[in-house]
Amino acid sequence: MHKVKPEMRILLIAILLLLTVILFLPLLALFIRSFETEQGFSLANYSSIWMNDEMMIAALNSIKVSTVTAILTTILAFIPAYTIHCTRAHRIFKGMLKTTIILPMLLPTITYGFAMMYSLGNQGLLTKLAGRNLFDIYGFNGLLIGYVIYTLPPAFLLIHNAFKYMDKKFIIVSHLMGDRPLRSFVNTILRPLAGALGGAFVLSFILSFTDFGIPASVGGTYSVVASQLYQVMLGSIPDLNQGAVIAVLMLVPAIFAIWLLRSLEKLNFHYDQLGEIELPTHRVRDFSFLTVSSVIVFMMLSIFAIMFIAPWLNRYPYDLTFTFNHVLSVLQSSDLTKVYRNSIWIAVLTSVFGTLVAYCAALLNVRTSLRARSLTDTASMITNTVPGMVLGISYLLLFNGSSLKGTVTIIVLCNIVHFFTTPYLMAKNSLSKMNPSWETTGELLGDSWFKTVYRVVLPNSAVTVIEMLGYYFLNAMVTISGIIFLVSTQTAVVASKIKELQHFAKFNEIFVMSMLIFFTNLIVKLLCDYGQKRFSIHR
Amino acid sequence: MLKLQHISKQFDGKMVLQDISLEIGSGEIVSLLGPSGSGKTTLLNIILGLTKLDHGSIMYNGLDMTHVSMKKRGFNIVFQDYALFPNLNAYENIIYGLRNKKGSVSEREVQDYIDFLELKPHLSKRISELSGGQKQRVALARTLVTKPKILLLDEPLSALDGVIKESIKQRIQSIAREFKLTTIIVTHDPEEALTLSDKILIINQGTISQYGTPREIIGQPSNDFVKQFIIKQLQIKRQNIFNLFGERYA
Repeated sequence: MHKVKPEMRILLIAILLLLTVILFLPLLALFIRSFETEQGFSLANYSSIWMNDEMMIAALNSIKVSTVTAILTTILAFIPAYTIHCTRAHRIFKGMLKTTIILPMLLPTITYGFAMMYSLGNQGLLTKLAGRNLFDIYGFNGLLIGYVIYTLPPAFLLIHNAFKYMDKKFIIVSHLMGDRPLRSFVNTILRPLAGALGGAFVLSFILSFTDFGIPASVGGTYSVVASQLYQVMLGSIPDLNQGAVIAVLMLVPAIFAIWLLRSLEKLNFHYDQLGEIELPTHRVRDFSFLTVSSVIVFMMLSIFAIMFIAPWLNRYPYDLTFTFNHVLSVLQSSDLTKVYRNSIWIAVLTSVFGTLVAYCAALLNVRTSLRARSLTDTASMITNTVPGMVLGISYLLLFNGSSLKGTVTIIVLCNIVHFFTTPYLMAKNSLSKMNPSWETTGELLGDSWFKTVYRVVLPNSAVTVIEMLGYYFLNAMVTISGIIFLVSTQTAVVASKIKELQHFAKFNEIFVMSMLIFFTNLIVKLLCDYGQKRFSIHR
Repeated sequence: MLKLQHISKQFDGKMVLQDISLEIGSGEIVSLLGPSGSGKTTLLNIILGLTKLDHGSIMYNGLDMTHVSMKKRGFNIVFQDYALFPNLNAYENIIYGLRNKKGSVSEREVQDYIDFLELKPHLSKRISELSGGQKQRVALARTLVTKPKILLLDEPLSALDGVIKESIKQRIQSIAREFKLTTIIVTHDPEEALTLSDKILIINQGTISQYGTPREIIGQPSNDFVKQFIIKQLQIKRQNIFNLFGERYA
C-alpha cells in the first residue's frame, strides 16, 4: 500500500466530521431525549410506553402484520427468481419478469395505498371486475397487500443475486444420483439458498415494520408502530420525548434484524467456480413456474393499473369519458409544480452529494492505509440499521432550533445518511477490485494523489458512480418515512404532498403526481442503464 | 552508482531484511533472487522509496537518498501486473507522465522509445486488447519516457507465456545497454536471474546469501542454500535439456 498523504488525512477528517454531524450527533440527541423528563433524566418515558395499552397493541399489530408479510413475500419472491434461474423458460419472458417485478420501487409507498383504494376499494376497478367486494382493504388486509408489494422487489433482488452464485451443476448431479424431485429440490436449491431466503424474510419484516407510507394511506383504525409514532410527534399534542422513546423502540428490532441478516449470510454456500450448465428439459416445470410468476407480477401490476387510468377519465368511476383536465390542472397549478420541482431538486442534490460522500468514504477505506479508515465501515453499518423514521426524528430533535430547520439542506443531508449503505458498498466493491499499484504508478509519473484519483481511479469506476447516482436519485424521489418530519410548506416534496392531498380526497392529483414521479424515475433509470452500458463496453 | 548500507526492516516485529549492504554500478543489470518470503520485493520497494527502512541508508552517486520521497528520488518501476490504466489506450498510457513534466521529453524521443519497443502498431489499442508481452512493453515505455535514474522491474517475466520470455529478456538487456540504465530485477527463477543479469544478489530469510556474477555463483557457491536451491535446480534443468537433445550438444 502506498504511503499516507496529508490530503488523504484532511479528506478523511472532513468525511468523519460530516458523518458525526449528520449521523452520530442526531442519534445521540435521540437517545438523550428518550430519557429526558420534566423531573430530569430517568426511565420514566420507557415505563410509560410499557403501560400504554394503545402503544402495546400497535407494537403487537406491527409484529403480526410484518411477520405474515415476510412469510408471503419470501415465497412470492422465490417463485420468479426460481423461474429465471432454474427453468428453461424463454429468455424474453425471463427478462420481462426481471424488469416488471422491480417497477414498484419507482413509486413512493404512500401511492400504493391510494392505488389499492381505487382498485380494491368499494368502487375499485378490480372490485368491479370481480363483481363484489373482495375484502376490506382498510386495516390488516390493506397493510398486508401494501407491504408485500413494497417488499417484494428487494426480497426478489436478494434471492435473485443468491441464485447467481449458486452452482447449478449440483442439480444435474442430484438427478444423476437418482434423487427424487423433493429431495433434489431441498438439497440443491433450498439448502444452498437458506441464507438468502432467511435474509429475504428478515429484510421484508423490517421494511414493513418501519414503513410509514402504507399505514398512512390504508392503515385505517389498525394502528401500527409507525402510525403511532407519527401521531405522537405531529398529532394534536406533540410529545417529543415520548416520540424519541418510540423511535428507540423501533430501532431495537432493526438492530436485531441487521444482526440476523449478517449471521444468515454465513449460511450461504460459496462455490469457488461457477460454470454455465444447461438444465434438463422439463416442460411442465417450466410452464407452471412461468405461469405462477406471471400471475404474481400481473396481480401486483393490476393494483397499480388504475393509477395510470383514473387521472385521464372525467370522474372515475362514475363518468368514464376521456379528459386531459386533471393532468392539465396539476401541471398548471403552481403549487403542485413547485412541489415536483422541489422533489427533483432534492433528488439531484442528494444524488450528487450523496455519491460524492459515499465515494470518498469508500475510496479512503479501500485505497489508503489510514488508521481511522474503518470508521466509515462503522458509519455504513449504522446507516444500514437506522430506519428512515428514526433518522427523521433524530434530525427533528437535533436541528429543530437551528437555522437548518425547514430547509432543503436538512432533507438532503437526511437522505444522504438514510441511503448511505448501498452506494458506499457499491463503491467499496468496485474500488477494491482495481489494481492496487495505480496510485503508486501515478505518483511515480508525477501525479498528486488527487490527480491520479481524477485521471485513473474515477474513470475506471464510472459504471459504479452512475449506479450510485441512480440509486440515490430514485430513493430520494420515493422516500417519505425519512423526511415526513422534516418538510416544511416551502420544501414539500411529492411524497409528502400526497399525504396532505389525502385529507382533501384529491385522488386525481395524487395519481398525476405519482405518475410524474414514476416516469421521472423510469427515465432516470433508463438513462443510468444506458450510461452504464456505454461505459462498460470497453472493459 | 547505487550504494545500500546496512539496511534493515521489520514488519510487525518480524525481521524481513537484516543488515543488507551492496553496491550496484551504473548501467549494471542486477537481479534480486530468492524464494518467496525472502524479502526481495521489500528490498525493491525500499530502493524505490515506497517502503520506509528502519535502519541503514541509500546513496545514489554520492547523494543520500534515504529520506528523499519516492516521487523525488527519480527511480521508476514496472510492476509485475504492469498496473496499466484501462481507461486509457496504449499511447495515452505511455505519455501519461509527460503532462506532469512538460518539456522534459521531446516528441521525437517518445517516438524513439515507441520504435525501440516496436509498439507503433498497437498505440491506439485498448489495454484489454493487448497481449501479455505487448502490455509489458507499454508499461516499459511508460516508465522509460520519464527517464528514470534506475529502472526497477518486479518479476518482469512471470506473467508471460514461455514463448516470449526469451525475447523479453533480450529486450531488457538491450534497454540497459542502449540507455546505460541501471536495472534492478526481482525474480524467483534462478535461470532467469543468471542468464539475464550482470550480477545476482541471492537473498534468503532477509540476509544476503551471496552477491556476485553468474560465473562466481556457479563456480564458487558461498553456502549450502546457494548450492541446494539455486545450483541444484539449474542442474536438473540442464539434465532435462540434455535428455531432450542428447549429450553431444552439451
